[in-house]
Amino acid sequence: MVSLAGEFTKGLWKDIPPFRLVLGLCPTLAVTKSCLNGLGMGMATVFVLVCSNIIVSMLRKVIPKKVRLASYIVIIASFVVIVELLTQAYVYSLYQALGIFIPLIVVNCIILGRAEAFASKNTVVRSALDGLGIGVGFMLSLGFLGAVREILGKGTLFEGSQYMIHVFGQSFEPFTFMVEAPGAFVCLGLLLGIMNVLGD
Amino acid sequence: MIEYVKMIVVLSAISAVCGFGLARISSATKTRIEEQKLLNVKGPAVKKILAGSGNNLIADRKEIVINDKKMIVFIGKKNGVPWALAYEMEADGFGGEMNVMMGFNLSDNTLTGVGVTSHKETPGVGSRVTDDSFTGQFKGKESTASFKVKADGGVIDVVTGASVSSRGVCDAVQKGASLYRDVRAESGK
Amino acid sequence: MEYLVLAITAILIKNILLAEYLGNCPFIGVSKKMDTAIGMGMAVIFTIALSSTITWAIQKYALVPLDIVYLQTVVFILVIAALVQLVEMFLKKAAPPLYKALGIFLPLITTNCAVLGIAVLNIRRGHTFIEMLVFSIASAVGFTIALILIAGLRERFEITHIPRPLQGTAIGLVTAGLMALAFFGFAGVDSALKALQ
Repeated sequence: MVSLAGEFTKGLWKDIPPFRLVLGLCPTLAVTKSCLNGLGMGMATVFVLVCSNIIVSMLRKVIPKKVRLASYIVIIASFVVIVELLTQAYVYSLYQALGIFIPLIVVNCIILGRAEAFASKNTVVRSALDGLGIGVGFMLSLGFLGAVREILGKGTLFEGSQYMIHVFGQSFEPFTFMVEAPGAFVCLGLLLGIMNVLGD
Repeated sequence: MIEYVKMIVVLSAISAVCGFGLARISSATKTRIEEQKLLNVKGPAVKKILAGSGNNLIADRKEIVINDKKMIVFIGKKNGVPWALAYEMEADGFGGEMNVMMGFNLSDNTLTGVGVTSHKETPGVGSRVTDDSFTGQFKGKESTASFKVKADGGVIDVVTGASVSSRGVCDAVQKGASLYRDVRAESGK
Repeated sequence: MEYLVLAITAILIKNILLAEYLGNCPFIGVSKKMDTAIGMGMAVIFTIALSSTITWAIQKYALVPLDIVYLQTVVFILVIAALVQLVEMFLKKAAPPLYKALGIFLPLITTNCAVLGIAVLNIRRGHTFIEMLVFSIASAVGFTIALILIAGLRERFEITHIPRPLQGTAIGLVTAGLMALAFFGFAGVDSALKALQ
């Protein structure tokens, strides 16, 4: 019997996506050009994941087995549309930066995976904590990857906010490779390797 | 049989609730989203063109219908008195349609500025028509000037290698300027 | 000519997998063996062409006239999920050999973000019908080419010594990164073609 706190904390290290649970790679690679974009995407994912986990868990005894996936998809897609509308209305710059990856949260395998593997079998509180843990883990990973790529690729941190810092000073010649597509793949691959070393 | 009925009922109920909820949220956020879109897509160009205005340019916009076409007009005010207005025109560029925002000074009928708000031109080639070095040429010109590239007998220098894109911007400004003159002639607005 | 530029851009310059970051999950999953990569690629081309056409028509003739564009995401994902099921059933009955070859890949495709991604991109970029068809098929072909190229490399990994922490997904990602770097070499081909015009 895992404790309630355990449901939350497992997402932060033991099952942290995308490093341990290798899922949701597309948004991970696409939006981590800067730390803030990564965190923004992570927050949107947390919202969808927690809400859909709660609803799926509430309805777990009502939804017939044969149409469960279709029901989960409708529920998840609805929360994604809510995120789409809210980001457009309140944080338009984030909406522009994330582009098509906001609607694509719906096909993030992490979300459907948690609904099917966890929320459909557990109580509402446990499902909410599970969603929060995995979601926050995902958000921190995206923020971390974004920070690494931004620091090396642009020499800044938190670009786009008033807290922007030039990590290596103004004269730093940026390693542009890191903010381009190839850098995303290589950076994530190497971080995965480092995580494997730390995990052993 | 009962199982099938249950399947259909549950799925329809979920879809109905979701659809209803989304419709509510969508209508609640609609005006704000439109405002944010204007602010972020057109806003920077409008602010630059109507620089020096003391009012909230996005909030003070007006929608008018001219020649059966809906247009949004941004009005710049100084001390509460309108001094300039800006609107957008379409024209064909090299890669497709482009939208050009332009502003006119109401007291002397000169252009206060021009800005390309959206385009599909080739990055690095046609897209250079968005640079200040090109759009800056329009600033201060009379609304009666010939907004054509010099090769066509006008007053505008083309961006090297992007004559089609340059002509597109000129076309849009030309259309906008003639609309401005027509409206001015008709009323005193 | 215009369509050729669009196709070449989608296949080589803005390769959906290596430059637009779409469809990475199946990419890491099935790019270990050459024959599974080919099967997956074919299934993706087929599904993307079909689903883009249908979602494009739905957007144009249902969502826009009814003024419910905000439901786009919900409708598109449901259409794609239903379509994949239908294709699976159809192939099982009508073309068993094809089903045998592609069948196991079809369920994986619903959560392939490339399918939904291309459907949404077609709408956001305001493509006409023919542009939509060219872009969708070219993107899917680009996906298949990238998948097959990487599968060819990853087959070699089995007989190569790789540091233990990097084995599996990690080295797959690094390889994809180097492949993406190679595809960078195609940048500029589109403007050259346009200049020829």
